[in-house]
Order: sequence, then structure tokens, then C-alpha cells
Amino acid sequence: MEGFVSTGLIGVSLGVQYALLALGFTLIFGILGVVNFAHGGFYVFGGYVAYATVHYLRAPYPLAVVVAVLASGALGYVFELFLLERVIEDDLSTLMLTLGLYLVIVTGVLVTFGPESPEFAFPIRGSWRSGGFYFPKENVIMLSVCAATIAAVYLLMYKTDFGRALRAMADDRQVARAQGLRPRLLFPLAFGLATALAGLTGALVTPILCLAPHLADPVLATSFLIVILGGLGSIGGATLAAFIVGIVEAYSSVYLGGSKGALTLFIFVLIMLVIRPSGLFGREVHGA
Amino acid sequence: MARKFRSFLRSCGAAELVSIGILVLAFGIPFLSSSPFIGSLVTQILIAIPAAFSVYVMLRMDLMTFAVPAFMAMGAYSAAIAGLRCGITDTILLAALSFAVPALVALPLGAMVLRLRGVYFVLVTFLLAQITQLVLFETPQFTGGSNGLAGMPATTLFGLALEDNRSVLLLAVGLALVAAIITTALTRHYRQHFAAIKENQVLAESLGLVVWHYKMLGFTIAAGLAGIAGFSLLNMLLTAHPSSFDAMSSVNYIAYAIVGGAGSMLGPVVGSVVLVTATNLFSTRGEYSPGFLGVLILIVVLAMKEGIVGTALRLIRNRARRREFPLAPADMPYLPVAKSTAAAERKAEN
Repeated sequence: MEGFVSTGLIGVSLGVQYALLALGFTLIFGILGVVNFAHGGFYVFGGYVAYATVHYLRAPYPLAVVVAVLASGALGYVFELFLLERVIEDDLSTLMLTLGLYLVIVTGVLVTFGPESPEFAFPIRGSWRSGGFYFPKENVIMLSVCAATIAAVYLLMYKTDFGRALRAMADDRQVARAQGLRPRLLFPLAFGLATALAGLTGALVTPILCLAPHLADPVLATSFLIVILGGLGSIGGATLAAFIVGIVEAYSSVYLGGSKGALTLFIFVLIMLVIRPSGLFGREVHGA
Repeated sequence: MARKFRSFLRSCGAAELVSIGILVLAFGIPFLSSSPFIGSLVTQILIAIPAAFSVYVMLRMDLMTFAVPAFMAMGAYSAAIAGLRCGITDTILLAALSFAVPALVALPLGAMVLRLRGVYFVLVTFLLAQITQLVLFETPQFTGGSNGLAGMPATTLFGLALEDNRSVLLLAVGLALVAAIITTALTRHYRQHFAAIKENQVLAESLGLVVWHYKMLGFTIAAGLAGIAGFSLLNMLLTAHPSSFDAMSSVNYIAYAIVGGAGSMLGPVVGSVVLVTATNLFSTRGEYSPGFLGVLILIVVLAMKEGIVGTALRLIRNRARRREFPLAPADMPYLPVAKSTAAAERKAEN
């Protein structure tokens, strides 16, 4: 029973970090209509920027997280503004551009830091104990920061004019433009915001799990899975789907072993994509 | 007879004929050079070409596929299992098998996934590639799991064992040539059907084209082409291993087709030659090669949409036009149609 509950807790903690990652991915798709193949790249980039700040500049870890968020946000902003914006109306071209950026980021990280995972550990160790359960402090801190950020993204998207403008863009680009909203101003900001979220996840999660250049691939695959399951572009759907994927992953890896759980999820999502391309909670599908 | 032959040649198309010609000439390479570097490079190029053709065929229908490694794996594993378990070593039989198995699997898959378009098709094919790799890992009794299938016996052609490097290279040339002929037959015969689907699928459908039918055909053949590439890879490595068919490796094949130019069949050929050669020249600094590929993709998407072949053709046409109309403005569109109607009018007057 205890094992069952602890596995559930692992699932929830996976779910929170996946949610943060998938939020960025789904924002980019919903608002810009771009499938961001570089999302895993930004995750790894964030992790390495935090590592470099701690390791080379001897900065405290919280400051390193802030630097990682700003750096990945800035990289995303500049990439959107100068490159992606030129072909924004063409689905396949934007997809190829993010693929190119992904390859460049991963190669840059690999060449700068080498293929081995560096020693990058969370500064706070130990765990709290209550009623027979252990709560590692690092996980609890990571979880609360992730949860707070998710809440902040919700507030930003639903309670501010900026969020309303972004959601209007996602709803109908033509009408939003006719109302005076400027995509050239909003798109880079939205892309930068989303990549900053990926960088934040990387900076928070990699010291707990592990940091290596090749992590970008599985991270990308998981974001794909979650975002398709929740409905491409849907913010609530992505959050819920992240918890489903996290919990399924935790239980299947403990009780089934190997990658059977991942395989089941992939096949489930494939079938869903075919039957209902809008996902569990997506409202509308354009171009399917 | 001569006229029939000429009209056959015309229906094949210039780019297609040049591609096939290049591959026929490639038969001579093992007799010109015995350097192992050249041999390995050319074999890698010849494996890349059928895979890039698979991407090219799908791009003709405005669909970008990430499923090439999945179908390559099916081709390679079906040949490896036939060779190891059933003792089949006949090259022609194995090649046919590596084409047929992915094509047959593509039939039910196509019925499912071809309803999707644009980014949704990209996502679903990416998932297919992921699933295939996971299945390979999870079925060790059948596919060897993470050990892969090793010790493939040398294949035979008409009873002759193909063992040395030269015959491996010749076999790769032959497979690439077969893939080129299949691609030519498909894309030239259904040229207008594919063009109609690419330009405007809804309009094509409303004009009576059974779009579903041709998409299915294209998807099946593209799967078979990838299977041939998989068999070719198996012949070089003599092992089938899941790591050769990583989902992200589909990026390479897409890059070969797009950087070369997806507008004509020569594009995937040129793209494979240029990019595989470049990656090999970088081989002492192998970690840079994905980044190099990434930068090339960025450049092609932003600055030369038609890829190497398309851009080169445009430059040549512009020069020809400059000679014909020296005073024409630089941005005047090139209209070969106008010229041919003018010639037809002149003919009618006479």
C-alpha cells in the first residue's frame, strides 16, 4: 500500500514538471500554429545555462534558475523575431526551422560541455518525513515552484490584457488582427514566454534527475504525447494530460517495468489522434 | 519505334532520367576506385537515396513524413528474420520482401493516418516512428530486443555470394536504382494527380479525383522505398539494431530531400550526395555534423526555398532568359508556356 501511494506521489511530481513543459509547447501551437521541435532543446539549454552559472560563475542556485529562464526566453524571442516570423504562415517551413534550431542547440551544448553529464546537484538535500512517507526536500521545492509558475501562467493568460490578446490570436488570427492586435509584437513575446517555461523546467528538473545533451529527444517526445492527448493548443487539456501521462508512467515503470507503459501510452495517443485529432479537450482543429 | 521511344523518354522527365543515369554510372565506381573511404561513403549515399525518395514521394502530396525510420526498420528486420530464421539468402527475394512488408503494413496504417494533414500528419508519423522503436525493444524473442539481430549471412545473387566490399557496394547501387525506377514510374505516371492533391485537395476532390486512392498509393510505395533503404542498410552493417532506426533520424532523410530540393526527383539525389559527403568530411569532428545539418536547414528554408537543385535550375533559366531578352526587368517571371503557345500560333499560321 505504501509503495502504491509513493508511486502515485512520483507520478504527481512527474505530472507537474510535464505540465510546465507542455504548457509552453501548447501555447506555441495554439497561438502561433507552430509545432516547436526545439522544445526539448530549450529544456536542455535551460539546464546547461543554470549549470554553467552555478559552476563557472559560482552564483547561488536560485539566481542560476533566473538566468536560465531569461536566457532561454531571450533565445526564443530572438529566434521568433528574426527567423520564424518570416515564414510564420507556412506550417511546414516553421516546423523545419524549429528542427534546424533544435539541431543547432543540441550541437552547441554538446560541443561546449561534452557528451558526459556534468555533476549538477540540487543545493538542498534531505527529506521531510510524515506518516511513513518520505518527501525529498528537492522534489517538494521543485514541485512548488512548478505549481506556482503554472498558476502564474493561468493568471497571465486569463486575467491580463496580454493574455487576452494572446488568446484572441489563438482563436482567430484574422479577426484579432482586424481588432488592432499586432502579431509582430505578440508572437515573439508568446514564443519567448513559452521557451522560458521550457528553460525553467530544465533548470529545475535537471539537477534532480540528470543533465545530458541527449535528453532533448525524450523530453520532446513526452511533450508531444501530452499535448496531443490534451488537445493541441488547449491549456487546460495539456495540464490534465500531463498528470495522466506522469501517473501512468510512474505506475507502469514500477509495476510493469521496461517501456511497456510508454508503448501503451503511445499507441493510445496514436489511436486518439486518428479518431479525434482535437484531443481530449481541444475545441477546434484547423488543417487536420 | 524511334518516336515511341522518344515519347517514352519525354514521359519519364529530364530530372528523373538524369537521376537514373547517375545511379547507372555509379555501377562503375567500385571498378574505378578501391579506396575503402570512397566505398563506404558511396554506400552510405546509396542508402540515403531511397530513404530520401520516400520523403520526396510524400512531399509530392504535401505531406511531411517522419515515419521513414519506422518503415526502414520493417524492411531491415523482415529481411534479417528471413535470412537468419528461414535461411533465405537470395538478394532479389530479400529485396522484394523488404519492399513488400512495409508496403503491406502501410495499407491499414494509411487508412488510419491519411485522413490527417499538415502538422497532424507530422505528429502521427513521428509517433509511428517512436512506437516502432519501442516495439523493437519490447519483442526480444522476435527481433532480438536491445541486442538486435546480428550474424546475417551474406546474400547471394543467382547463387553467387555477395561478400566483399565491392559486391556490397554494387548491391547498394542496384537497390537505389530499383528505388529510383519505382519513384519515377509512380511520380511521372500520377504526376497530375499528385500535383492536384498538393495544390488544392478540396478542389481536386470536387473535380472528381479520388484523392484517398492516390494518397494511399503514394504512402504504400513510400513505405516500400524506405524498406529498400532499410535492406540496403542491413547489407552494409550485417546487423539490424533498433538504434539504427531512431525516430529523430528521420530528420536526416527530410533534410536530404529538402536541402536537395523537393521540386524534382534530382533533389533527393543531390541532397543525399552533398549532405552525406559533408557529414563524412566532418567525421573527425562528428559532434558538429548535426549542427551543420541544422544550419543548412535554416538557410534553405529562409533563403532558398527550392533547395539546391531548384535554385540552380532557376539561375540557369534566368541566364538563358537574359540572353533571349537582354532588356527584360530582372524580376520578370519566366513563362515557358507563353513561348510554346507563340510557337503553336506561328505553326497554325503557316
